[in-house]
Amino acid sequence: MDHLTALENKSIFIIREAYFRFRNIAMLWSVGKDSTTLLWLVRKAFFGEVPFPIIHIDTTYKFPEMYRFRDEYAKKWGLNLIVGRNEGQVEAGMGPGKGTKLDCCNELKTNALKQIIEKNGFKALLLGIRRDEHGIRAKERVFSPRDENFKWDYENQPAELWDQYKSTAAEDNHFRVHPILHMTELDIWKYMKREKIPLTELYLSKNGKRYRSIGCAPCCSPIESTASNVDEIIAELESTHTSERAGRAQDKEDAYTMQKLRSLGYM
Amino acid sequence: MTMDLSKKVFVLGIDGAPETLLAEYVEQGVMPNLKNILSGGYDLVQMDASIPDVSSTSWASFMTGVNPGEHGIYGFMELLPNTYRLTFPNYASVKAPALWDIIGGTSGIKASTLADKFKGRVPNNLRSIVINMPETFPAPALNGVLTSGFVCPDLKKGTYPESAYEYLRSINYIMDIEASNASDKPDAFFDEALLALNKRAEAFLHFMDNERWDLFIGVVTETDRLHHFFFDAARDKTHKYHERFVFFYTRMDDIIGRVFERFMASTNGRGLFMTMSDHGFAPIRKEVYLNRLFVEKGLLTLDPAREYFEQIGAGSKAFVMDPGRIYINFEGRYPGGAVSARDRSSVVNEIKSILIDLKDSDGNAVINRVYDGTELYSGDESARSPDLVAVGNDGFDIKGNIKKPQAFGTSHFRGMHTRHDAHCVMPSGTAPLGRLHIENIASIILERFI
Repeated sequence: MDHLTALENKSIFIIREAYFRFRNIAMLWSVGKDSTTLLWLVRKAFFGEVPFPIIHIDTTYKFPEMYRFRDEYAKKWGLNLIVGRNEGQVEAGMGPGKGTKLDCCNELKTNALKQIIEKNGFKALLLGIRRDEHGIRAKERVFSPRDENFKWDYENQPAELWDQYKSTAAEDNHFRVHPILHMTELDIWKYMKREKIPLTELYLSKNGKRYRSIGCAPCCSPIESTASNVDEIIAELESTHTSERAGRAQDKEDAYTMQKLRSLGYM
Repeated sequence: MTMDLSKKVFVLGIDGAPETLLAEYVEQGVMPNLKNILSGGYDLVQMDASIPDVSSTSWASFMTGVNPGEHGIYGFMELLPNTYRLTFPNYASVKAPALWDIIGGTSGIKASTLADKFKGRVPNNLRSIVINMPETFPAPALNGVLTSGFVCPDLKKGTYPESAYEYLRSINYIMDIEASNASDKPDAFFDEALLALNKRAEAFLHFMDNERWDLFIGVVTETDRLHHFFFDAARDKTHKYHERFVFFYTRMDDIIGRVFERFMASTNGRGLFMTMSDHGFAPIRKEVYLNRLFVEKGLLTLDPAREYFEQIGAGSKAFVMDPGRIYINFEGRYPGGAVSARDRSSVVNEIKSILIDLKDSDGNAVINRVYDGTELYSGDESARSPDLVAVGNDGFDIKGNIKKPQAFGTSHFRGMHTRHDAHCVMPSGTAPLGRLHIENIASIILERFI
């Protein structure tokens, strides 16, 4: 069996296992490449019919291309799409310019999701995170318990030796299930190529820049790249050493630092 | 195991608090608690800051106890290797282990002459609490608690562990005040400075009481902010903001008194207590823009269409970064490098003679001394050091700004850092012989844990 098929089999096993154990589950779809790949795998796992709701957390700050893509494929794939918005905070004008970046994420993403889980009583959520995305995610489990406050106690979680997943936990907990945890950024692109999975054009180079990671428009910066199709992206990734999420936070931190230094007369 | 109460250290950092001003305020009764401490067997000692006397460098020298040639922090900004592009060093750039690494067993691959000196002589399982320490972002996973000070763009990433972040968030802790308010909303600026000071004190007392610790370092940075914009109010009783300035120091004194009392009560009077600053302050007479001077003297050409240091033109001999760091535009080191290594001494001499002769319009000498980087710094990081560092006489604030149209100017800033007037309050007889330097403090602290 080739590498990509082995990865696919593992993911499909986890997806079916989660559905079998919990029944009342949902999947988070950010419209980015990873969760779209996960959605593709979910469709494969259930022969084209997705038997649970797909949640899109709408901060109202996503790129227009993302909204277009979401609506197009929700229809095409017959998804039961739940759009989650923290209406109270959206109306109150929460945004990256109002609170800190952290307050904004907390209200518009985390609390919006909390509201949906509470309302629907989901026992588990499928998420498209990958172990190579960020240092802390190396500690993630495929079945990852969270308490009612969404707290992830990473120092106290069950071991998953030899692919034995622990999918039971205390009453108040819900599970985060990570079916593509074992894939790398490069695996995703190679799998997307093989399966011809659709993607938003934000990932493709336009005027010498493309997005390597997408989220809310104000908090994402494109990278310099001439890769304008999936083959070129794969070639680019095979020769790069910078982190995938570099465009997300570093620019903001530098901008903050410059503003602070300038206010004290430096620069 | 019996606890040896003498093996506990509390350091209160007061950013930019000059020895001379503290002495006057103690004398005038503005700081009765500090006066009390001093009359009980403590000395107020004048101390030299690092060169350059900028907070990031000086605090890195304090926390590592070694010179910038070892810890690698020469300022708040650097150029990326082989470019003129700016980058901002953070804790990842601090190459020497900090005090909390040395006593906490978290040095990892970091090494330094100080860590070598104390290896095996101090325990490696001691806990540190470090609050608002500049140049520690992103927060390291230390044995204890740390929240980063200036520049800290994100409190969560700047705090370890997460429970400490949750606490700080719960008290609406203020990472840094909005300095840009100082000129157009001075009252709001003073209000926020006082509020931030109170939050720091609240956090100090919380962690003192609720954590187990051996070394506590709590830093107040609002003093520095106040000084930058209102140092002219420190002594001038007719200044509109004199009272507010002095009131701030009265409140600072309350905090000194409270943490001192609580620390002494918990150690039966046997712990080591210190306050210290990373540099002094003096009123500004003129800001001095050395890059402009270099342009006038033919050492530097600039392309105004570009940004920051990318303006540096081909053929330039040298340029300056804040505060007085002078870099020679060497071939091989920069894309537009124009000076070959064998011409170093002639370029150094040319720059030195220009700077030594520099006078303001009233005929006052501007530059106190020009140091050669090869004499100042030693260690693995000294290859990246500035070639020269110009230190101004008090009143002449040396700037690396690259866009100024004249070599001299004034602005809304009223105070400048000084190298010679940092302070340290320590038990009498603690200071080493000779003049105290900020790099000495770490040894004094580590001696306590032997």
